[in-house]
Amino acid sequence: MLRSVKGFICRPLKLDRGFALHTAAKDCFSSVVSQDVQIPAEKPRAIFYTSESDPARHSEQHEGHHYSIPLEEVKAVLPHGLPHRFQQQIKTFKEACIMVRKPALELFTYLKNSNFAHPVVRYVIYGERGTGKTMTLCHVVHFCARQGWLVLHIPDAHLWVKNCKELMQSSYNKERLDQPLQASFWLRNFRTTNESFLKEIKTQQKYVWSKRDSTEQGRPLGEVVEQGLTRVKNASDVVGVVLKEIKQQCCLGSFRVLVAVDGVNALWGRTTLKKEDKSPVSPEELTLVYNLRKMMMNNWNGGAVVTTLSQTGSLFKPSSAHLPHELLGKEGFDALDPFVPILVPNYTEREFESCYRYYLHCRWLQHDKARTEDGKEELRFLSGRNPWQLERLAAPL
Amino acid sequence: MERSDGVGRAQRPDRLRLQHQKWRQFNYLLKEIKTLRLIYTTTAAWRKNIAASGPEKYTEAFIKKQIEEFDLGKRHLANMMGEDPETFTQEDIDRAIAYLFPSGLFDKRARPMMKHPTEIFPEQRKIQWGEDGRPFHFLFYTGKQSYYSLMHETYEKLLNVQKHQDQLAAQGISPQKEKKNLVGSRWVTKTELEGMLLEKLSDDDYSRFIRLLEKLMTLPCSDIEENYIKKFSKEIAVQLQKVSVEPLKYDEQGVAFSTGEGVRKTSRATAVVYGSGTGKITVNGIDVLHYFPVLQDREQLLFPFQFLDRIGKHDTTCTVSGGGRSSQAGAIRLATAKALRSFVTEKEVEFMRQAGLLTVDPRVRERKKPGQEGARRKFTWKKR
Repeated sequence: MLRSVKGFICRPLKLDRGFALHTAAKDCFSSVVSQDVQIPAEKPRAIFYTSESDPARHSEQHEGHHYSIPLEEVKAVLPHGLPHRFQQQIKTFKEACIMVRKPALELFTYLKNSNFAHPVVRYVIYGERGTGKTMTLCHVVHFCARQGWLVLHIPDAHLWVKNCKELMQSSYNKERLDQPLQASFWLRNFRTTNESFLKEIKTQQKYVWSKRDSTEQGRPLGEVVEQGLTRVKNASDVVGVVLKEIKQQCCLGSFRVLVAVDGVNALWGRTTLKKEDKSPVSPEELTLVYNLRKMMMNNWNGGAVVTTLSQTGSLFKPSSAHLPHELLGKEGFDALDPFVPILVPNYTEREFESCYRYYLHCRWLQHDKARTEDGKEELRFLSGRNPWQLERLAAPL
Repeated sequence: MERSDGVGRAQRPDRLRLQHQKWRQFNYLLKEIKTLRLIYTTTAAWRKNIAASGPEKYTEAFIKKQIEEFDLGKRHLANMMGEDPETFTQEDIDRAIAYLFPSGLFDKRARPMMKHPTEIFPEQRKIQWGEDGRPFHFLFYTGKQSYYSLMHETYEKLLNVQKHQDQLAAQGISPQKEKKNLVGSRWVTKTELEGMLLEKLSDDDYSRFIRLLEKLMTLPCSDIEENYIKKFSKEIAVQLQKVSVEPLKYDEQGVAFSTGEGVRKTSRATAVVYGSGTGKITVNGIDVLHYFPVLQDREQLLFPFQFLDRIGKHDTTCTVSGGGRSSQAGAIRLATAKALRSFVTEKEVEFMRQAGLLTVDPRVRERKKPGQEGARRKFTWKKR
């Protein structure tokens, strides 16, 4: 605790890494003025906050602490991955603070020590509802982005298997169905996250989109993506092409790829979509799902596949199901087997304490009783130390 | 049924005779029951003050005859059932009647019964005049003979006491009066007095009588007439029932625990609260967050612990069945509050009681009535 306080006070003079946390900056300057007075006031914050903004350097000592991501980085790295309520929180607090938790640290050690010559290892993050699986995934995405990996982040695979207004027959393969809207949406976000890579990766074969459009071999991938965004009809095929290219080229070892899929159980479940003759659509018949499934197989190397199971958006699954076997079904389990399961539990006492202090610090808990010990006990009991419950409880207070 | 043929009668075998005897007894009993059903209902069933409800209906001789018949019938019934007539109690009679005349009627009061005539015939005043029409009591023509005779009697006692007092004063002994504790007793109510006197009273009469009694009580030497006064005073039952708090039990590991039961609407819950713990609650083997996803139910469970400031200190295991989610939550709340009594001082138990944590919620679903759509809602009223 003391170490981080000292580091905190010494840092402001360096002003490095675009540390744009405005409250921290204010504290910095005031601490320069009167160090003696500020030290006891900073201590409470140091209990739940760490200034280490590079996930690569997070370790057990930072466990339970919040770290903040600069807002520009959030827009660049995680445009579409964060949960909706967290995005609202970012807007309210004007800062994005994620808690460093054990499952994420575990994943970091695995990723750091993984041998990229071997076939990709698949990690499945699972847990009860609202325990922080998506947040862990976003933490990992941030880590890999900082490390310079290419990130293929699918925010919610469930969106691809339900509520699709436009289903077109695929031009490439008559049996499959296209989803132009979802594909173009994803391509846009993909472009935002991986600007630098789009120029470097070159296509390895010619792709003919239609009579007039085609992409030559050796063109940067960015062009393919542009093609997909302008010609929305071909967006799903573009996605397939992008995935194929990335898979082929990352085996060569020039860059690392992280495939981060949230709600991976959607790929092997059922869909609520129907064809024109009212017959149900199975996931294989969707181009996007088909291509993504190919990505999930472990026949390539040079990266990692981190996925999350999600019951909340899942279709036709009971609300009590949260284990991989239940949510993936036999097909999905066999497809993903072998994988490394990572359980995300509810908050520990320390983490709960940290989260509570954070809310207090941001002046989110306005109720008088919420600031007392009794209030804290009450929150702890009523939320059962579940992050989602706690967040919903704290919102109206 | 009896044949007057003398020849056939002598030849009838014993077995048949016994059967015939039994049949006669049975018939007799049937007649009794029939007549019972026609006229008789118990005083309790009437539920109003029949003592003064009108002119007397039954003579004393009539009542006596009924009692004789009842006793005879009782012996016959005992014989029929194969039991000893001497030790045949009223409960045995009830059981026998229920066996011989099974009835599916819902109202217990409508079923066949055989009770002592004093219970069946309302205790009314027997006819107060003789065969010549002359009344027995000298105060008959006042209209309220028992009341006035009672007033006279009480006044006589009062005079008695005063005379005794004067005697003691004449002897020079000052009468010592100990303060009698009147807290635990009350005077008879008007209805009870009417039942005792078997005639109607007015409020004014009643208050006069009570005032007289109180005056008698206040006199120093009223101890002599204590027996008489006792006839008109009743003990009030102790209001606050001391509910004993169970002591803590200890299980194998030495952890203190305590059980409690709770009900609410149709839910029944039992809770076991352990002395040391982290505030975890398990319901039917499922964690409380999963069993009660609604915040309101969890708040109900929180209430007893929060009230006693023991939120994170006890582990609880509950089983609950019946009812819906809200009533199950209420039942568990009551059960945990009852279990927590063992861990807590008496003062805090009193606080809990006043907060309503230990009271069973008496509200149940109200019955739907015919002619209405629901319990209270009437059908839409149409003018025409």
